[in-house]
Amino acid sequence: MNWKKFFTAFFAAFIFLFVFGFLWYATLMRGAHEEVPALFRTKPDFPWLILGHIVMAFFFTMLCVRFVPAGGAGASAALGILVGLVYAGPHVISLAVEPLTTKILCGWIAGGVIQFAIAGALVGAIYKPSSPTTS
Amino acid sequence: MKRFIIAFIAAYVFMFLWGWLLNGVLLKDVYAETPNLWRSQSEMMSLFHWIIIGQALVIFAFVMIYASGFAGGGVAAGIRLGILLEIAAIGMRLAIYAVQPFPEKLILYGSVSGLIEMVIVGAIVGAIYKPASVRTP
Repeated sequence: MNWKKFFTAFFAAFIFLFVFGFLWYATLMRGAHEEVPALFRTKPDFPWLILGHIVMAFFFTMLCVRFVPAGGAGASAALGILVGLVYAGPHVISLAVEPLTTKILCGWIAGGVIQFAIAGALVGAIYKPSSPTTS
Repeated sequence: MKRFIIAFIAAYVFMFLWGWLLNGVLLKDVYAETPNLWRSQSEMMSLFHWIIIGQALVIFAFVMIYASGFAGGGVAAGIRLGILLEIAAIGMRLAIYAVQPFPEKLILYGSVSGLIEMVIVGAIVGAIYKPASVRTP
């Protein structure tokens, strides 16, 4: 494992996931979220939000590096799409148990798939092992 | 294809039973502490098909990752995939906790049970599905 490239990829993934999350969920979907105010805090709890994104970015980067060892934006983006679909499942389940709207559900699913596809492409583009010993 | 379908069905049956045991029985009292966050029992039952579709989506995408050769082969590879996916999901759960007022213990129990669940799902898929070609050396 090339740790320098790993941490560069992790840092890029973290920044991207956080900024995309802010733009997609907190800005574009703000109106949809405001339709069900009881389901959301009035203000985000930032330490948990940041910690959550760090954990998510670290282990998503680990997933890409471990399972797409040759790197490359395309293969890692494909993995990212599948990871986004794995995480879309719990959102679909949420519709049955939480009083969410279908607009929120569609936004969360589309956001998650796009987010992890791009994050995967970023990680794949940055993490390219230079020697075949990096496995 | 046959093994893909068998792996999918086996993992799905496990996830369905695990989900019922955990959310429908063990954590029932924890959910009852925050009734304003959840639909009524009758509403949930009328939307039950979304639970089935959501669980099927998780398992389908998991088996697709495994079958694509990303994870390598065998039970250990399936478990590794399950662990990495679930720890990243715990990060997502923490981010959701930051914006939705779920009880702390629900996040904790959900994360621990999610890890156990994905380890077992990974083991089931890894034991049943043998990828024809693996991308890892």
